[in-house]
Amino acid sequence: MLTKAKEMNNKIHEGSKAVDAVIVFLMILVCFITLYPMYYVLILSVSDPLEVAAKSVYFWPKGFYLDSYRVLCTDMKMWNSYLYTVIYVVADTALMLLTCVLCAYPLTSKHLLGKKFVVAFLLIPMYFGGGLIPTYLLMVKLNLYNNIWAIIVPGAFSIWNIILVRTFLNSIPETLREAAFIDGASHFKVLFKIYLPLSKPILAVIAIYTSVGVWNSWFNAMVYLPNENIQPLQLYLRRVLIDQTVNLAQLPAAEVEAAVRKQLSNMQLKYAMIIFTTLPIIFTYPFFQKYFVKGVMIGSLKG
Amino acid sequence: MPNQIVAVRNGSKPAKRGRRRQKYSRALIHENLELYAIMLPVLLLIFVLCYVPLYGQLIAFQDYTPGAPILSFDGQTQWVGWKYFNQFFTSPYFGRVVSNTLILSFYNIIFGFWIPIVFALLLNELKNLAFKKFVQTASYLPYFISAVVVAGMVLSFISTDGIVNDLRALTGAKRIDFSTIPSYFPMIYTSTNVWKSFGWNSILYLAAISGIDPTLYESAKLDGANRGQMVWYITLPMILPTIAIMLIFQVGSILGSNTDLVLLLYNPAVYDTSDVIGTYIYRYGLLNGQFSFGAAVGMFTSVMNFGLLFIANTISNKLTNYGLW
Repeated sequence: MLTKAKEMNNKIHEGSKAVDAVIVFLMILVCFITLYPMYYVLILSVSDPLEVAAKSVYFWPKGFYLDSYRVLCTDMKMWNSYLYTVIYVVADTALMLLTCVLCAYPLTSKHLLGKKFVVAFLLIPMYFGGGLIPTYLLMVKLNLYNNIWAIIVPGAFSIWNIILVRTFLNSIPETLREAAFIDGASHFKVLFKIYLPLSKPILAVIAIYTSVGVWNSWFNAMVYLPNENIQPLQLYLRRVLIDQTVNLAQLPAAEVEAAVRKQLSNMQLKYAMIIFTTLPIIFTYPFFQKYFVKGVMIGSLKG
Repeated sequence: MPNQIVAVRNGSKPAKRGRRRQKYSRALIHENLELYAIMLPVLLLIFVLCYVPLYGQLIAFQDYTPGAPILSFDGQTQWVGWKYFNQFFTSPYFGRVVSNTLILSFYNIIFGFWIPIVFALLLNELKNLAFKKFVQTASYLPYFISAVVVAGMVLSFISTDGIVNDLRALTGAKRIDFSTIPSYFPMIYTSTNVWKSFGWNSILYLAAISGIDPTLYESAKLDGANRGQMVWYITLPMILPTIAIMLIFQVGSILGSNTDLVLLLYNPAVYDTSDVIGTYIYRYGLLNGQFSFGAAVGMFTSVMNFGLLFIANTISNKLTNYGLW
């Protein structure tokens, strides 16, 4: 079966070899453009500081110095941000799964009265938003300002995801539900004992979307979390990489280290920080590819 | 007799004598109570965090100070009508901010819209499936790197001792600090934005392309079509609905979508070409505490965006019969 599809695919795309070569070349160029920047950052972060200063590092690392990373490990503010980011990711992913399922399930029942109004209620905010200022004022009024709930609560739900889950749940046959009703089950039981176990595919998609989204988010934290102790990683990175208000070269550490560190340029420290905080994502995202693609496909079919 | 009349009116089965007369039986109500109970926490959350700010938009028409009630009938709220809208329109920054927003958005559409499509089409022509998968995976690495890290990398690369200047120095050119020269900002911003998102955006088009019936291609091949003709006459028309919808979305967010990345890449030296409506609202409305003004500008933006969305949708419907609604 697979080879037949492959055959058909290859037959369709038969054409001049020259064009083939051009296309392959272009695709290699694309790979280079997308992969080289990160690779450059990586090799610069582990190279000999003298070579880096001499501007001779472009394609492979010169020397192998992990000093930048050793310095980073003493950065308690970074570890603190890491911790809070993990808290935010776990909390928001769990809550997101819960809210999606709770809101999407009733929408799949044919007996729901006023379903049209509920759907309209969900769709309107997708087109009309409150805007930055009114939302900010509301968060302050609700005491969600400058504490962890400022991140967790707004991140706990997403109307787009609710619709995604609803589309998925609609594909579960009604007969399962009807059989459960005959046995005397309530909607609550049906939801948790039948629909939830069957929703693992879509829940996996949403869990991954949410985790990546929360891990990379920074704007909400910038607006609502002036307290540096609970800021997520990306916001700390912003202070280091962009605002330049955190000077990594001045991190407290042992005397011996200090001498070594004087040689490390600020650029190398910054690059080490980038690698250190982005590596988890780089290593995990290829394995979750099929989930993203599936999510995009289900989302585009929502109609 | 009365039972049958009731039945005909409601369109349901003829009711048994005395029992299920009403359209809404007790069982149905009970079931709905349970369903709404399940949904209630989430609906409440949506109401508070999505709808209440809509009501808060009213401060755009008031002289709002924190702590003042938004709606009161005893003269505590001070209504000032279009004062803040006028303030925005007559502000010396109005022209700069709106034109920057439009220019950056247009660049994004001109360069960023067709690249994912062409990339998807080219990728689709690859015969070696392993290589195809590799290229695809590589293409959305930039999407997963956070915007902060991407901006940090870009700013470092274009700084005076970054790699861009290193390469220029190799050819004998002088080192320039690109990040402080206004005329370079649109290019830096657009290329960063396209680099970061083209791979992810191409997924949608790839999915659409893979859904095209292969027999169409087979019959075209029998008729002697070459690859280019197949792309032009089969692939593109078949993914036109997807393209149309994506374009409508892009147009509908022309005035508002670029705040995040601009906020990370800009600095006061380049405000001339980089200050957009979103960053303007953030600095003046939020950081400076001019809440009513910020809300007014925000409302202007959403209304304009919705208008553009509507127009784009109408045009698309007329031209291609596809649209959001």
